[in-house]
Amino acid sequence: MSFWIRRLASIALAVGGCFLIDWFAKENLKDFIVRLVVLAALYITLAVSLNLINGITGQFSIGHAAFYQVGAYAAGLATVTFYKSQPLGLALWIPLMMLVGGVTASVAGLVVGLPSLRLRGDYLAIVTLGFGEIIRIVTQNLKVVGAASGMAVEPKMSTPMIWLAWLLAITSIAVCRNLLQTAHGLGFLAVREDEIASSAMGVNVTRTKVAAFVLGSAFAGMAGGFLAHYEGFLIPTMFTMDVSFIILTMVVLGGSGSVTGSVIAAILLSTLPEFLRDIQQISMAGLVAAAISIIAGVVAVRYVSQHVHTPSTRRIAYPGAIIGSIILTVVLSKVLAFIPTLANASTDGSRIRLVIFAVTLVVLMLVRPQGLLGHREFGWGSLRRSEA
Amino acid sequence: MGLAEEVRGLSQAVLTLDKATIRFGGLFAVRDVSFSIQSGDLFGLIGPNGAGKTTCFNLITGVYKPTAGVVKFGDTVLNGQAPNRICEMGIARTFQNIRLFSSMSALENVVVAGSLRQKSSFISALSYLPSAIKETGEIRARALELLKVMDLEDIADVRSCDLPYGKQRRLEIARAMATDPTLLLLDEPAAGMNPQESEQLMRTVRRIRDEFGKTVLLIEHDMKFVMNLCERIVVLDHGVEIASGGPAEIRNNPKVIEAYLGEAV
Ligand SMILES: Nc1ncnc2c1ncn2[C@@H]1O[C@H](COP(=O)(O)OP(=O)(O)OP(=O)(O)O)[C@@H](O)[C@H]1O
Ligand SMILES: [Mg+2]
Repeated sequence: MSFWIRRLASIALAVGGCFLIDWFAKENLKDFIVRLVVLAALYITLAVSLNLINGITGQFSIGHAAFYQVGAYAAGLATVTFYKSQPLGLALWIPLMMLVGGVTASVAGLVVGLPSLRLRGDYLAIVTLGFGEIIRIVTQNLKVVGAASGMAVEPKMSTPMIWLAWLLAITSIAVCRNLLQTAHGLGFLAVREDEIASSAMGVNVTRTKVAAFVLGSAFAGMAGGFLAHYEGFLIPTMFTMDVSFIILTMVVLGGSGSVTGSVIAAILLSTLPEFLRDIQQISMAGLVAAAISIIAGVVAVRYVSQHVHTPSTRRIAYPGAIIGSIILTVVLSKVLAFIPTLANASTDGSRIRLVIFAVTLVVLMLVRPQGLLGHREFGWGSLRRSEA
Repeated sequence: MGLAEEVRGLSQAVLTLDKATIRFGGLFAVRDVSFSIQSGDLFGLIGPNGAGKTTCFNLITGVYKPTAGVVKFGDTVLNGQAPNRICEMGIARTFQNIRLFSSMSALENVVVAGSLRQKSSFISALSYLPSAIKETGEIRARALELLKVMDLEDIADVRSCDLPYGKQRRLEIARAMATDPTLLLLDEPAAGMNPQESEQLMRTVRRIRDEFGKTVLLIEHDMKFVMNLCERIVVLDHGVEIASGGPAEIRNNPKVIEAYLGEAV
């Protein structure tokens, strides 16, 4: 009995928290920031669900935007077709449509998951990426969903249902966490570690992989279902390959396999680069200075990790290397500003967004190949402790 | 043939290979190998390098499908069954080139294997229902017991790739035991162990048979280990069976001595 009381309490807490975020955001934040709050929740869902396939089960799927798109279009199309002729209000209808998006995407996940039984590593990556492109190009030419000019999803939500997006994000986190806390979930990790040994220990490798694909794509599809009614408009260019890459970057950056890592990386990468859009003028001098400093920083951090072995020196050396390269950026940008060709050239923030993703990934691979958190999780009592 | 062996011959065979054969291109890795293992046997499979011993294990556990011949577990034909199905039926193995789940802890390795016969559903795991929590706890408790049997309880939380070689080998046995097999296949369990460790392992394997009632089939190059432990032995060379019998017979068999090129057997 006490279990159900605790369970209900934690669900109530999660739902309450979502409404609190909703209320706080609408009262205090600018529209532009509210949008980021919503997108952060969607990207958490996407990153956590890709992490289930990619990090936890070890299936190198990289076309996650495809499932996002399938969910979005399925939900959007259902609303356009059926909403008028049914009695439900929008507040109930939209969660229902998210389920429709989730189910449709999970069917797509099943279809893509099946080749994963035969393909490994890069080959699977190519198949999933190709699947994403096929979906996008098919919708681009499909009249019922507006082809290349897109489709209006009427009615859309009157105000952003921030709480719903966050509830979805929290649910996806909870499901992954639950899985990893039980014996079932360890089977997923085992498949990632060694398929031959897993099957020799009785793990049904086929079923595990397919389950990961179906579950992972279901969450992406639900996020898509939300997006359709949040934007009120769907167009194939919303789901290009770079969306897939951004989600993948989040998983890798957070540390493949770590749910907390995915969440942190999703929040960082979905919000920080957006602020760059606002900056109209970024001077070339600054960019060149940053590039040089990043290289210097990477070299410094690698030097420390390979040659400095006393923990106390390391504790100073790491922050030192990072702060040093930031100072170097500032100083260099002032110095370089004396060179006229650099001082006069500039670019705008939105153009270098993707550059930043690429640079982040390259730096990460050099400095910390296991990702921010590696395989670790924050604040979970888990199987990993030996006392009950 | 003595009376005891005759009685044994009448009892139900746990595992039967009948002219089992596998070909890799032009190479017969295992050719027309036939033997049968009775319940409660401590059975040895020996032979020089490349004789086809590991390949035999792979045939039995479904990693490879026999090109010809039959592998039977009790009355069930195993040919073409998936490895996880074969494990479910009751055959578990260890690997010669250790295949632990390397980034997982020792305990987690055993829990994965121990979850084979769990009853709680996938959905109950996803929603973290009491049934799943309880069963996970039970599987964990059993896994800890097995770690104790293999003398590994102190390293339960250590990542398996950080363990020394001897402990990794013992962890492989604990993991295989966790699937609660009828037949346990050990591929060179004593490889890389020092004499004390291997002495200790010998006692443990005997205990696995006597106390836990497992039938054991093991491959081993350490002749002292095999001769002291196994009651029946089959010798392979170049994929063919060249001898079978008790340790004394094997030790004096000229074909075996020749195969091992005068090595002390
Ligand atoms: N998948 C495969 N493809 C081709 N040849 C193989 C394959 N697996 C094994 N072989 C060959 O089959 C023969 C038997 O190999 P196996 O590993 O069974 O020997 P073994 O008796 O276990 O030897 P060792 O004592 O060295 O472990 C070898 O010649 C090996 O090269
Ligand atoms: Mg071998």
